[in-house]
Amino acid sequence: MNFLKVLFRNLRQGPSTDPFPFGETFTPEALRGRIAFDASRCSVCRMCEHVCAGGAIRFEETPQGVEFILWHNTCTFCGLCEHYCVPKAIHLTNDWHLAHKQEDKYRMIEEGTMYFKSCVACSSAFLPPSDALLDKVYPTPAAIDPAMSELCPDCRRARAAAQQTTPGMAQIHEPGLTLRPLRLNHNEKRHD
Amino acid sequence: MSLLNTIASRSPWLYRINAGSCNGCDVELATTACIPRYDVERLGCQYCGSPKHADIVLITGPLTMKVKEKVLRVFQEIPEPKVTVAIGICPISGGVFRDSYAIAGPMDSYLPIDVNVPGCPPRPQAIIEGIAMAIDIWRQRIQEPA
Repeated sequence: MNFLKVLFRNLRQGPSTDPFPFGETFTPEALRGRIAFDASRCSVCRMCEHVCAGGAIRFEETPQGVEFILWHNTCTFCGLCEHYCVPKAIHLTNDWHLAHKQEDKYRMIEEGTMYFKSCVACSSAFLPPSDALLDKVYPTPAAIDPAMSELCPDCRRARAAAQQTTPGMAQIHEPGLTLRPLRLNHNEKRHD
Repeated sequence: MSLLNTIASRSPWLYRINAGSCNGCDVELATTACIPRYDVERLGCQYCGSPKHADIVLITGPLTMKVKEKVLRVFQEIPEPKVTVAIGICPISGGVFRDSYAIAGPMDSYLPIDVNVPGCPPRPQAIIEGIAMAIDIWRQRIQEPA
């Protein structure tokens, strides 16, 4: 009489078939699906392009800035780009509705442009670090150096060198790294 | 003939071609077909063993050099009208195997693809969504005068 118990239980539970596509389905919160890119957080370190398993991410330099292009049709949804993104510009949403007709094949992309800024000192174009990255690097908003988003890296370096007052700096007459022997580790066996 | 087409359009038969897939997508296809939770047969579909009975072709895998001729031969055996669905990123673009010396793909440079279901592998619901799209296309094809 065990089968009656099973029968009764099944009648009470109802069908266990997922109602999709005729109804709603269950989507886990952490499902890795369509990728959302926030260009305002990106600081173009290009680590996502480097770690991308499927080669889906590409950066392209234009006169206005740098473009981020991701093609979902070669993305494995591994989530490495999100994992390695320091300012959290890339996020894998749980949207899995990616099936599409052939004519939309090359429209399955996610794009964003990070615009160049003009340096206030030398007016050369440069990419400023994003606010999200500065928040990550500096402990408090007050500690953020305003020159970071106004000066190009060369001008920042020149400014930092001018501010530096190391005692005895002028007395050093180091011939430079070029004249040193190539072997840095002197215990190392010499190669043939 | 139109009556037959009306009846036939309610039950497209699925056929599965593995073009050098890693079996990840094939496992998801088996899940979609065999597990009552996803049950693709609610859409009137049924898997068939012979390409000659097929209406909707599901292709997985990046089309390796070794399997290319065989896939093309099997594809020729499927009667018209047919709808081709590329399951997973491998047939669509080559996926992680793109630009490999052993890969002849992408698939759409050899076969007419109608629906793409990206994913590595796509989840069963996404496959069902893609098959539902393919059924719509197939109904249009079978009912338009040849």
